Amino acid sequence: MPSFSHFFNILMETKGVFLKAMLLTLELTVVSILLGIVIGLVFALLKISNIKVLELISDIYVYLVRGTPLIVQIFILYFGISGIFLLPDFWAASLALALHNGAYISEILRGAIQSVDKGQFEAGRSLGMTKTLTLRRIILPQAFRRALPPLGNQFIISLKDSSLAAFISMNELFNVATTLGSNNFDEMTYLLIVAVYYLLLVALMTFVVNRIELKLAVSDR
Amino acid sequence: MLWNKKFILVSSIIVVCFLSACAEKEKLEDGSELINKNQFVFAASGEFKPFSYINDDLTMSGFDIEVGEAIAKEMDLEPVQKRIKFKGIVEGIKTGRADAAVASHTINPQRSKHVSFSTPYYYSGPQIFTRTDSKIKTVQDLEGKEVAVAKGSTYADTASEYTDKVKTYDSDITALKALSSGRHDAVITDFVTGKTAQKEGFKIKPGQLINRSEQAIVLPQNNPKLLKRVNESLEKLREDGTLTQISIEYFGEDITKKPE
Repeated sequence: MPSFSHFFNILMETKGVFLKAMLLTLELTVVSILLGIVIGLVFALLKISNIKVLELISDIYVYLVRGTPLIVQIFILYFGISGIFLLPDFWAASLALALHNGAYISEILRGAIQSVDKGQFEAGRSLGMTKTLTLRRIILPQAFRRALPPLGNQFIISLKDSSLAAFISMNELFNVATTLGSNNFDEMTYLLIVAVYYLLLVALMTFVVNRIELKLAVSDR
Repeated sequence: MLWNKKFILVSSIIVVCFLSACAEKEKLEDGSELINKNQFVFAASGEFKPFSYINDDLTMSGFDIEVGEAIAKEMDLEPVQKRIKFKGIVEGIKTGRADAAVASHTINPQRSKHVSFSTPYYYSGPQIFTRTDSKIKTVQDLEGKEVAVAKGSTYADTASEYTDKVKTYDSDITALKALSSGRHDAVITDFVTGKTAQKEGFKIKPGQLINRSEQAIVLPQNNPKLLKRVNESLEKLREDGTLTQISIEYFGEDITKKPE
C-alpha cells in the first residue's frame, strides 16, 4: 500500500489529466442514462401493451441484453459491425451502455407501472380520459416516483460500468489510471486515486437523485 | 466479551497467514529462490503472437514460451507457464506471482529501477504500422496523428515523443485490429508482431523501423542467484544453437544474434 503523502502528492500532480478523464466518464454516463431511459420506457410500454407481438419483441430484447456481458456488447459495437459501419469510439461505448441500461430500466419501469393500483386506471377511464391520457397523466407520474430509488441504483451502476470503455481505448477514468499506473509501475496509487474520483461522481449522482425524489414527493405532504 | 476476543484472535491469525503466504518463496541450496523448489514459473501475456499466444486448451505457445521452457530444462526444473496481462507482468514479478517473465520485455531504464534483466535473448525494434492506404511513413509524419499502442509497453513512450494523441489498448493485437478495421492513424509495435498480423490478413502495412531494442527476461531484484543461473542457461542455449533453432522455427531467421 502506498503511503498517504505519496498518494496525496500524486493526486495533486495528476489533477488535470484526471479531471479531463472524469469529464469523459461523466459524458459517457449521462448520454447512456438519457438514451437508456428512452429505450427503457419504450420497451416497458411494449411489454404492458397487451399485444402479443410487441410483448415478444420486448422479451427478446431484455433477454439478449441481460443475458450477455456488457464488455461483449461493447466489443460487438466496436469491432463486430466495423465492416458494415464504423461507429466512433464514443458512440460505440455509449450506445452499448445505453442499450444495456435500457434493458434494466425497462424492467424497473414495467414493475413500477404495474405496481400502480388498478383502480387508478379505472378512475381515469371513468372520468372520460382516453387510455393514453390516463397512462400519461395518472399512471406514469406515480410509477416514475416509485421507480426512482431503483433507477438511482441503476444510474450508479452505469457510471461504474462506463469504466469498461477503457478496453476500446477511450481515455476515461479507469483507462487513464491503469495506463499511468503501469507507466510509473505504481498501479495501486493510481487505482486508489481513481476510486476517489468515482466516489465523488457517485456522491454527485446520489445528491441529484435525492433532490428529484424530494421534489416528486411534494404530493405526499 | 470472551467470544469477541477469541474472534479477533482467530481472524487476525487467518489474516497473518494469508499475508505471509503470498510472500513466501522456497530457498534453494545455491541461494536462489523459487516459488516452488522444483518448478520454474515464468510469466507471459499470451497476447503477443508469435512470441506468446494461446492454444485451444488454454496453454501458451510461441517463441517466448519455448525459450522459457528451454531455460527451465537447462536448470533441471519443471517449466510452469503463468498467464498475466502484459501491463501487470512487471508488478507480478515484483510481488512474486511468478519466478521470472519471458515476455519480450525491452530493456529500459524505467523498468530497471524495479526489476532485473537477464542478457538479451532476442533483438528487435519498434516499427510504425499503418493502414494500406496511409501516407504515413516515418516518425515525422506521426505529428498530430492518432497512434495506438499496448498499455505498459515501451512503445507508449516512443509514440508520445512524436504525437500527443496516444490511445492505449490491453494488447498489441487489439491495437492492430482496431487499426485494421479503420480506427486511429498508426500503431507502433514490435516489427515481428506487426508482420505476423499482416500475414494473418490484417489490412496493414509496415512503415519506418524506429530503432533497435534488446529483449530480455525479467527477474525480481532480490534474487541475484536466480538471475545468474538464468544467464548461464541462456549462454548455454546460445552456444549449442537452441536459441537460433527456436528463432528459425518461428520467424525463418535468427533474431537472437545482435544485429551489426
